Amino acid sequence: MLQSSDNLIKSTSSSKRSEWMALLARSPLEMLEQALKRYVTDTPQWLRRPETGLMMIEGRMGGTGARFNVGEVTVTRCALRLARAAADAPVGIAYVLGRSHQHAYLAATADALLLSPEHNDLEQTLLAPIREHLAQIKKNRQQQADSSKVEFFTVARETGQDNDSESSE
Amino acid sequence: MNSIDLSKVVAGFTDVARNSQAVFRQALHALSHPGLIVPLTVDSAIPAHANPGSAVLLLALLDADSRLWLSSSLSQSDAANWIVFHSNCSVVQNPAEADFAWVADISELPLLKDFNPGTDEYPDQSTTIMLDVSALNTQADTRTALTLHGPGIESQQDLNLSSIPTAHLASLVAQWQINHAQFPKGVDIFLADSSHLVGLPRTTHIQMPQSEQDHKA
Repeated sequence: MLQSSDNLIKSTSSSKRSEWMALLARSPLEMLEQALKRYVTDTPQWLRRPETGLMMIEGRMGGTGARFNVGEVTVTRCALRLARAAADAPVGIAYVLGRSHQHAYLAATADALLLSPEHNDLEQTLLAPIREHLAQIKKNRQQQADSSKVEFFTVARETGQDNDSESSE
Repeated sequence: MNSIDLSKVVAGFTDVARNSQAVFRQALHALSHPGLIVPLTVDSAIPAHANPGSAVLLLALLDADSRLWLSSSLSQSDAANWIVFHSNCSVVQNPAEADFAWVADISELPLLKDFNPGTDEYPDQSTTIMLDVSALNTQADTRTALTLHGPGIESQQDLNLSSIPTAHLASLVAQWQINHAQFPKGVDIFLADSSHLVGLPRTTHIQMPQSEQDHKA
């Protein structure tokens, strides 16, 4: 069982980092490959090569109740420093659903790049398109669901009148 | 969950499965031949403040269920972060709670009785101590060597620990006799330099060098 003791990194911008780590993990593989093509020509300095394992997902009933174990999911993770980076350079980390070693590798590379200030442009060239893409997918799904939505006007109106009449008595 | 400072962490084994199995085999060999100096395969990146021999030994043995106690000079070093990152073990402050202890120098070694000796029902749950020494001397000088007897040794095994100051060594041997006497309970010790290993299981009987005994008498 994998344990993610290393994904909570001491960092001033950790909330920003967790946002981009989430985006990278959810991104389609092609978008990562496209945007990171010129950064992945050399073998990185692996701290932990990509490895696939299980993680326990916990949930809360109704989002607020007590914790319970939902089930195990397949997760691939890795940790690396960029090729030719200094010995104390930032460490890129990725935890990605599924078994794709390539996805974990690219996500960790992007994480390491985003941690070094000289790669600010990735915010525009990589993160913004992913954010847009995920929003689009969400919107499409929403539209699909909305197309079959039924509005129960009658019931709503009757209930409202009942309540009104009760409260006035 | 604790966060780890990864800025100084280096890589682990080059080939995790093969390297850790090789080291495990060597550890097994060392424990079944107490006092024998066993060469270690060190095929791993090593943190700056760690002794390579004990580092690879811990890397091969520890997992997420292990509790590790670190001596004072190791507990704040890059070695601590490194072993926690790679093995996911938890670090404990009390030696009595530890499954493994990593001691950078004999001067930092607590009393052996402060570690967990296990119980009569579960003697296997005792602490295993990795003690770093600067050099394990293969030249057996019988005048200064410790004399070892016990299971795994046919007649007598000499162990030269000239890199350990005599006062520390005498104290360790005295404590070891108490440790040996409480069998089946008791701690086991691995001595490691940069590329060699010596196993001292609790069954081994250790005597001070002949010259020291003469000196006292």
